[in-house]
Amino acid sequence: MNSQAEHARAQDLERRIRVYEEMEKGEQWPGALSAADYIAITLMTLVLVVGFYLWGY
Amino acid sequence: MATHDIDHGLEAERGDTPLLPTERMWGFWEFTYANSALAIATWAFLIGGATALFVGPREGIAAIVIGNILGVLLATFSTCVPCGKYGTEQFTFLRSMFGSNGSRLVYVLAVVFLTMGWLAVLGLMFGRSIDGLSGLVSAHQTDPNGWLVLASGTFAIVLTAIVVAKGPTSIKVFNTIVAPALVVIMGVMLYLILSQHSFAELMALPALDAPFDDKRVNFMIAVEVNMAAGFSWWPYIGNLARLSKNQRTAFWPNVIGIFAAAALGEVVGLLAAAALGNSDPTVWMTHIGGIVFGVIALGFVAFANVTSMINILYTSIVGLRQLAGKKLRDMRWTLLVALFCVVPALIVCFAPGIYDGFFIFLVWTSALNSALAGIGIADYFFLRRQRMNLRHLYAAEAQSPYRYWKGFNPIALTALVIGFGAYVLVFNPQTLANTTLFTFVTASLPSCLLAGIVHYGLTRVLAQRLGWGAYPSRHAGTTRTLDLDSRSYSND
Repeated sequence: MNSQAEHARAQDLERRIRVYEEMEKGEQWPGALSAADYIAITLMTLVLVVGFYLWGY
Repeated sequence: MATHDIDHGLEAERGDTPLLPTERMWGFWEFTYANSALAIATWAFLIGGATALFVGPREGIAAIVIGNILGVLLATFSTCVPCGKYGTEQFTFLRSMFGSNGSRLVYVLAVVFLTMGWLAVLGLMFGRSIDGLSGLVSAHQTDPNGWLVLASGTFAIVLTAIVVAKGPTSIKVFNTIVAPALVVIMGVMLYLILSQHSFAELMALPALDAPFDDKRVNFMIAVEVNMAAGFSWWPYIGNLARLSKNQRTAFWPNVIGIFAAAALGEVVGLLAAAALGNSDPTVWMTHIGGIVFGVIALGFVAFANVTSMINILYTSIVGLRQLAGKKLRDMRWTLLVALFCVVPALIVCFAPGIYDGFFIFLVWTSALNSALAGIGIADYFFLRRQRMNLRHLYAAEAQSPYRYWKGFNPIALTALVIGFGAYVLVFNPQTLANTTLFTFVTASLPSCLLAGIVHYGLTRVLAQRLGWGAYPSRHAGTTRTLDLDSRSYSND
């Protein structure tokens, strides 16, 4: 029974990996962080760090 | 027969296999609520209160914002971004950089010891809130280590275990109710503080107990304490992020939850401590809002500790299942949860003094977490260029390119030791002894940067020659794929 369960788990894992491999082949990854996100993160961080440093210290 | 009874979605949710996008339950707001519920607890008020010891409120607010945004971003880039993309369990993902045994070692260091400690500390925070509540509504004399605190702390751990035993759905319900209420309560607290003291008056207040004459050193210690708070999410948020629907949903809620909500709680704690001279929320809440508001606020804050405990316990148990593989995977989820809670309950009952070492404990964790974040960023973004090979990650240990040397990646472990050592050399959390470098760049940033550079450099020089890690060559577009099947789990 245990080996049956292991086999079922292995099959399920294989199915999951294939889903991601298919996504990897695509042009775009659905919901991935884009260049715009990274620019927004960088600007937000700079504004918060520099702004609060100048205001508070 | 038994095989047909397995719910693989549930197994993935509570285990180490990658969650598929269709199975992930948290949208933007659900993850924001989970994050906020994790962030807002007595610890946020205590960190704010600790900041007030070193600097006045104006510098304190600056230190809270600067420290938290840097710590949170570095922690989330190294965990939420990859786990949110592939739905992998955080410590399974860590095999790619530390090896399977190395990942177990990091789990023991960063999660087992720390989570048990945090569960005990948060349980005691719950207990002290209940003790404070009891003192407000009756003639009961509060006692920080009295029977009521210890009994309530143990109750908090049991309640946490019950909610986690029911799985992420019950956690989602708990978070959705408690998190918005906590934000409202903190807003009211802020309003009450500002209605009793003008903003200008608050900003002019001095530090409660500045340890150094040099204003710059005190400010940097305040930044470091808050950066440690930001980095302290490293062991937990990857396994929460994998429950969110996609990579963007796994990233941005952190800015609202563990950054903004935590910063708001810390600012409330800072202002209250500076204005009333006491960093203990169970004391100043009644001073600010009177008995009725104090009772309501303390009640919510008490349960806020439980929501934080629930979130860290869930992520720890999910990680635990990859620690010893088949044995733990076959063990019932409820039994694992119960066993994990035994030590924290014992700490609450027999070593409640851990609560008083909270602040030093927090800063020590940053020596480890900052180096781990640096290694994670160097590995995922710069060496693997944001592409993971799940087949390698889940292959049997003997065949996996992530077996490195006997399951340990000596390069990543060397980088971890160097990052940790650099932190302690630049700033000693125990004695507050510091170097000139610390007064310009804190200790967490150089530790994070150095660990990342060492990991990147040594990997480029050594890993390819030794055939370790299946890293893409510097000019290759994609990762090398070994033709492995996933018939075995690497943690068997």
